[in-house]
Amino acid sequence: MTRYAMAVDLRRCVGCQTCTAACKQKNGTPPGVQWRRVLDIETGEFPDVRRSFMPVACMHCDEPACEEVCPTTATKKRDDGLVSIDYDLCIGCANCVMACPYEARSIVHKAEFAYGDKPMAHEAQSFDPARVNVSTKCTFCIDRIDLAEETGLTPGVDHQVTPACVNSCVSGAMVFGDIEDPDSEISKLLKENKSFRQNEELGTGPGVYYIWDKADEDNDL
Amino acid sequence: MKTMTFNSRISSRVQRNWDWRAAGNFIGGGVGSGLILWSALMSPLGYDSLPMMLIGLALVGTGLFCVWLEIGRPWRALNVFKHFSTSWMSREAWVAPLLFIVGAITWFFEPLLVWPTALLALLFLYSQSRILQADKGIPAWRHPRCAQLVVITGLTEGCGLLLLLLPLVDESQPWSWVVLFVLLGLRLVAWQRYRDGLTQACAPLGSQKCLESIHKKFLLIGHLLPALLLLVALLIPPVAIVAGILATVSGAWMKYILICKAAFNQGFDLQHLPVRGQP
Amino acid sequence: MKSSSDQTKTIPTYCYNCVAGPDPMAVKVTDGVASEVTPNFDACEAHPGNGRPCVKAYGLIQKTYNPNRILQPMKRTNPKKGMKEDPGFEPISWEEALTLLSDKLNGIRDKGLVDESGLPRMAATFGHGGTPANYMGTFPAFLASWGPIDFSFGSGQGVKCVHSEHLYGEFWHRAFTVAADTPNTRFVLSIGTNVDATGGPSAIARHADARVRGYKRIQVEPHQSVTGACSAEWVPIRPKTDAAFMFALIHCMLHEHDRQQLDLAFLRDRTASPYLVGPDGLYLRDPESAKPLVWDLSSQAAVPFDTSGAELALEGAFKVKRAISVDADEQRHEMQDIEAATGFNKLVEHVAQYTPEWAADICDIPAETIRRIASEFLDNACIGETIDIDGVEMPFRPVAVTLGKSVNNGWGAYECCWARTLMAVLVGALEVPGGTLGTTVRLNRPHEDRHLSVKPGVDGFMAQKLNATDKENWVAEPSGRNAHTTLVPIVGSSAWSQALGPTQLAWMFQKERPEGWNMPVPTKPDIWLIFRSNPAISFWDTHSLVESIADFPYTVSFAYTLDETNWMADLLLPEATDLESTQLIPVGGTKFVEQFWKHKGAILRQKVVEPQGEAKDFTWISTELAKRTGLLEKYNNAINRGAGGVSPLKGEGYDFTLDTKTPHPPEQIWDAICKSASAKLSDNKEVKDLDWFKENGLYLTPMSQKLWYLYPTMAEQGLRFEMPYQERLLRIGKELGNRLHEKDIAWWDEQLSEYAALPVWHDIPGRWETALINDGADPEDYPFWLLATKSMQYHTGGNVGIQLMQEVSQNVRGHTGVIMNTTSAARLGIGHGDRVAIRSHIGVTYGRAELIQGVRPDTLVIVGQFDHWATPYAKGLEMPSLNTIAPMSLELTDATGSGADIVRVAISKVKGESL
Repeated sequence: MTRYAMAVDLRRCVGCQTCTAACKQKNGTPPGVQWRRVLDIETGEFPDVRRSFMPVACMHCDEPACEEVCPTTATKKRDDGLVSIDYDLCIGCANCVMACPYEARSIVHKAEFAYGDKPMAHEAQSFDPARVNVSTKCTFCIDRIDLAEETGLTPGVDHQVTPACVNSCVSGAMVFGDIEDPDSEISKLLKENKSFRQNEELGTGPGVYYIWDKADEDNDL
Repeated sequence: MKTMTFNSRISSRVQRNWDWRAAGNFIGGGVGSGLILWSALMSPLGYDSLPMMLIGLALVGTGLFCVWLEIGRPWRALNVFKHFSTSWMSREAWVAPLLFIVGAITWFFEPLLVWPTALLALLFLYSQSRILQADKGIPAWRHPRCAQLVVITGLTEGCGLLLLLLPLVDESQPWSWVVLFVLLGLRLVAWQRYRDGLTQACAPLGSQKCLESIHKKFLLIGHLLPALLLLVALLIPPVAIVAGILATVSGAWMKYILICKAAFNQGFDLQHLPVRGQP
Repeated sequence: MKSSSDQTKTIPTYCYNCVAGPDPMAVKVTDGVASEVTPNFDACEAHPGNGRPCVKAYGLIQKTYNPNRILQPMKRTNPKKGMKEDPGFEPISWEEALTLLSDKLNGIRDKGLVDESGLPRMAATFGHGGTPANYMGTFPAFLASWGPIDFSFGSGQGVKCVHSEHLYGEFWHRAFTVAADTPNTRFVLSIGTNVDATGGPSAIARHADARVRGYKRIQVEPHQSVTGACSAEWVPIRPKTDAAFMFALIHCMLHEHDRQQLDLAFLRDRTASPYLVGPDGLYLRDPESAKPLVWDLSSQAAVPFDTSGAELALEGAFKVKRAISVDADEQRHEMQDIEAATGFNKLVEHVAQYTPEWAADICDIPAETIRRIASEFLDNACIGETIDIDGVEMPFRPVAVTLGKSVNNGWGAYECCWARTLMAVLVGALEVPGGTLGTTVRLNRPHEDRHLSVKPGVDGFMAQKLNATDKENWVAEPSGRNAHTTLVPIVGSSAWSQALGPTQLAWMFQKERPEGWNMPVPTKPDIWLIFRSNPAISFWDTHSLVESIADFPYTVSFAYTLDETNWMADLLLPEATDLESTQLIPVGGTKFVEQFWKHKGAILRQKVVEPQGEAKDFTWISTELAKRTGLLEKYNNAINRGAGGVSPLKGEGYDFTLDTKTPHPPEQIWDAICKSASAKLSDNKEVKDLDWFKENGLYLTPMSQKLWYLYPTMAEQGLRFEMPYQERLLRIGKELGNRLHEKDIAWWDEQLSEYAALPVWHDIPGRWETALINDGADPEDYPFWLLATKSMQYHTGGNVGIQLMQEVSQNVRGHTGVIMNTTSAARLGIGHGDRVAIRSHIGVTYGRAELIQGVRPDTLVIVGQFDHWATPYAKGLEMPSLNTIAPMSLELTDATGSGADIVRVAISKVKGESL
């Protein structure tokens, strides 16, 4: 069984928002809608201060709270781990927005473009009226994952079938792949390092892992 | 390695997707359901409760209309019925037509059916409370005591409205004053327990502060004053109407705050600061 | 290019929006519309940034289709110029525009290229760090065919770069910029270097790898930048005290540690440490050959430094029987029975005063922290270890020191550059694996290979091409408006030198000149060309600078939007931007900021989509101008010589030269350049035409990693790094002083004080306070230091009008206003998001307070350069700018002509809605 997941190596991330921009461009999200972004986090007090960067997006949970509350079945958990939204079913009730503990979902109520109401050429091309007034979020670039089925390419290995954010990351902080495959890069990386997931206590089983240190010598994670 | 406390959530903000329209559903649904229930109890055979039930149904319907105004794709609203298996919003949606149908039958054919109507109203109110509890992204809602509060406040508001409406259809009934008095006590306890629960659960400070900011008014105007008025009503019965209004309006106001202002989302938690390289 | 369907193509090209480029990228084009920027996955093996461009590149799609673009030529109709004057631009045809411009140019040629003051009638200002050249097609060939052009009107050059490093870096180790050998290093002391924001994908990827590997980087800076965030430790130093901190580190290394922790062999053999210094502070020299003397331990006598078999003493007091010294203007002093010490001795003695306790008060860094850092530096230096690099055994010294903007600019920068280079030298970590490296050269030639610029010069050092200071050859009459050849010997006179001279002087002298000015009066240029630059925003004292720009008689801008500088222009010519035109440039090798490749070659920028509106390819514009000004033959010759591309069009075994008599369309020119470049790169094994490059994007040949390090070249030629004692600079300074004083010029005297053999601490921050007093202000009224910092989203992208950049930058702190310490803000009643006024003694800028803990309580920080009043979209951002309120000041200009991006300010809450 395949379970696609993402690992973010926080040691690498420099908070540059290249992934944010790449995602916005690839997915044609309107101004203000960021299916993913990098948080700029400060802890401590002067002069003992730490600043960290943490990319956040849909965690494609094992037990998605959004799916449970969705009254329309627009939100579905796929067998490969991806949480998808059927824009034709969604009524835009925002219940999923409230249910998601990761601020992953957005709803816009009118078509907006970078410079106002009039789309630029590329915006006109990518504009999808089906995405207005419904819930949207990171899809792990679902079209690419589906392409993998057709082409036999491997997500996380072949860029054609890998999420745009992962492809774009200048520090190489993000890795994508099948965590059920022990030989995948993500599986190896998670084995070799210490990681955590966001708000695990909520029982959502997030599919995004945050690496923060190398594993102890005895591999006792 | 320094670990952040759970309270120092990152980027916890008030939700911006549900406004007065969504709050309207919880207010209308709560008051309406409560009214139906108490009116049924007031008149076990149903005859005298029919106008109240009708008003209760109208309030529930108004709440649902508010939601209909809120959702992004109102013309495909019927999709809301599709996920009965897990979604309390779907379940609420299923209960609503049943409530209206049974209510209509009660009105037109069989007043005794006020009891199943009341039961469905209670179910509707319960569904609403579970909608909030299922919203894991809002710690102030997902707390189980939030659901308790929502049910109790709905019942209290319904009873309050009953006190307001009773003189229109009947003489004032002191037993309803007692019920409201008790409900006010329960609501106050639920309110206090809820806020204590949020503190214990380290809910976002924004939520806690917001609720704290209305506590004094809610306590005085929403509980102590109506309770006092109910006592006064023993001497001057019309005062009970004012007590009913205060109990209802304050509950509605509290729910508006709960939905629109105190609903800070989960925020993020950096459990471990990344190691930045050491030789 | 690759087609995934009939309608979608992926086209390789490059991003060179900042000096950290070029970075390969690709653009998806669907139905003729550019839709998505992606990495160039075909280049991920060779490119140190794994084929990925940074966030700025993702803004290029919006840049192309931005509705605010200027899309046809425009001429000004309002003869009055000023911020409040609507220029009244009127659309005209290209024919009319080119006729207007060529008439103007021909008029200048008729009058003479140089005016009555001996200054070029044509001036040109291009943006950041030479990057515009990578977007201007064959325009360099036009400029080369034109004749003298004044490049001294800067748009931030000298003050927004790492200026002193450029000059001294090339002087000491052919390092126009300096970087750590990140993949091999164990310890980096990064003093203000914001490499994780401005180093581009190559630097970011290398440092990310190093962090995971476990190197340690200590970041020393007043506010915690992105780089500070990603470092193991942040040391919040008081602004402009970096030199004191480094002097104390050197003190620790020399006075508190065992000598064996230094690389004594390196010091003895590869530096001037053993050179004997006499009582007059000059090298003792052999009376016959005038070569510097060293003490030979075997013969117990002073001998010329290059005496074979001599056993050089590094330390000691020696008595030299007979020697000479050579002072400024070749004044020789003969001496006998001289008490001599080595340069190293002089150094040890000199830094004895700079204890950690002394520095602690100045820098606000605990003495024990300074001691610990010095220890860690020494502990990680791995003295005696070696490493195999491509089959060659080299010293392995995995410690590096890097310096950032403002550390590297203005007063104190010389001291810091010296101290940084010295720290590397003391442990033999200069230009060796793991150590502190230069990247490339710009003041020396050839740009593509710094090793070839290393040639033996005097005294065992590299030959230097400095501006003459001797009586006969000193340039007494400046040939440019910033007088760089006259005032700054070390900047040299290469193509890049003028723009690296004191560029603020060019602007300042337009307004007022120092008392006793007796050089020709700096004139206004008859014509001023602008490209990919907005000096009206990007220099200092911008309101006054705008007035100077408004005074220029004729300004021509190759324009993108109607920005603040274009507001004052007379003619706007829309050029085809990044994704709309063709150009081949060199790629690979070693280059700033951390582009250390194991390949070198050429990369194509191609017409990904058709130009919008009437925007024209710069090569077409250049050819038209050459044709209309009678310069076609010279222009074509310049292209044939290689001015427009990667290599000459004719070389050994190949000849793709263009006919010089006829104009050529851009595609034909670039086809010839592609062929010659590939022929040259492959030693004639392969010829790749433009179509091949369009398909494949870049052409690379392998290069050894050995070329990252200058040390082997120095060793092969038996040369020494000119460290630690700066006898040559001392002499040059004296000579320059002699020349200036002979001309009764005293206004550069303070700058002359910088020419010291061993830099001394002078109260560097105090200079800003003194400058305030001299300007009639009270320093107590301006209690904060205001610094400017760069962001990856905006740094030199010319992209303030791009919505995508604005949106994503909001996620990074500092992009909503001015960064301030929370505690300081509370003291002043300023809350997060409050609207504030930041005042200096010359002006005020407004923004929102962004309160954080990661900044010193006495420091404010503004990101980027904003405060736009004309640029569409950007003018609505309400962002403050240091540039609005930083004065241009001769007093705060150092000997290299640079000033630091720092100003004393006050801050207060003003009316306005809080965020």
